[in-house]
Amino acid sequence: MTKTVRKLFFLWEYEKEEEWINQMAREGWMLIRTGFRKYVFEKGTPEEYTYRVELLDKGMNSKESNSYLIFLKDTGIELVGECNNWVYLRCKTAECRFDPGDRPLYNLTHLLKLQEFFNTLRNLFVTCIAACIVGILILEHFAPNPVVDFSKGFCTGFSMTMAFAILLATPFFRRINNKVKVAIKEMYTRE
Amino acid sequence: MNPQDNIVLTEAVFYTLLALYSPLHGYGIMQETGKMSGGRLRLSAGTLYGAISSMLEKGWIRALPGEEESRRKEYVITDLGKCIARTELTRLRELVENGTKIIE
Repeated sequence: MTKTVRKLFFLWEYEKEEEWINQMAREGWMLIRTGFRKYVFEKGTPEEYTYRVELLDKGMNSKESNSYLIFLKDTGIELVGECNNWVYLRCKTAECRFDPGDRPLYNLTHLLKLQEFFNTLRNLFVTCIAACIVGILILEHFAPNPVVDFSKGFCTGFSMTMAFAILLATPFFRRINNKVKVAIKEMYTRE
Repeated sequence: MNPQDNIVLTEAVFYTLLALYSPLHGYGIMQETGKMSGGRLRLSAGTLYGAISSMLEKGWIRALPGEEESRRKEYVITDLGKCIARTELTRLRELVENGTKIIE
């Protein structure tokens, strides 16, 4: 017996996602396939498997990821599904090799990657805004005509939207930055 | 890296080096280190993979030639690795001596 659940988790909610998948496993629903916002579960013995959501360094088909996944397979860790560079792994709970001890490092690695992703996005937006402003300044030198007016309007609107998007995203940046700080502190107090 | 440099090994790295005095594959390393430490040290797959990759890079261990990529890889300690392990042993002895002197 299988059932499909559609559920959306944001990029930074991987812990929540993993916890949810493990909660399903405790209730006897084992994740067997994934897709974009799609989770396929199969009825099994409760707690038979423990799950983990991990972000790979490189793409799924890269040599590095391939050798990592082969290594995991040798140690009894199975790949259940993937979505972009996220992989869903599971192993038998009884012989589980997902050591909670490396959790802080694992968290920090992910958070840094997320931070980098957001920073790249922000830099892209800022570059676009700068380009628009330069565009407006250049257009000032032309005699007004419909094309120039339209371009000016477009640049203004576009850069305003970008700026607004950055403003909207600020709480997320802050949240990720705070999480990184907490994760680093946790690393220090470990062992 | 120079073996004379002051390197402090993590438990996972030290035990992995010890386990690789005879060739083993990934899962074998986990079992061997677990056995050696009386079940105390349970290496997770992620930790071990990280340790193996970095030790391969530093030349402390090497992969035994396998037939193809997808086959289970076996690893073994190199001379440099043995030297590192010996240096670490000396450091650990010093810790034990000083600890014994003061605590007991």
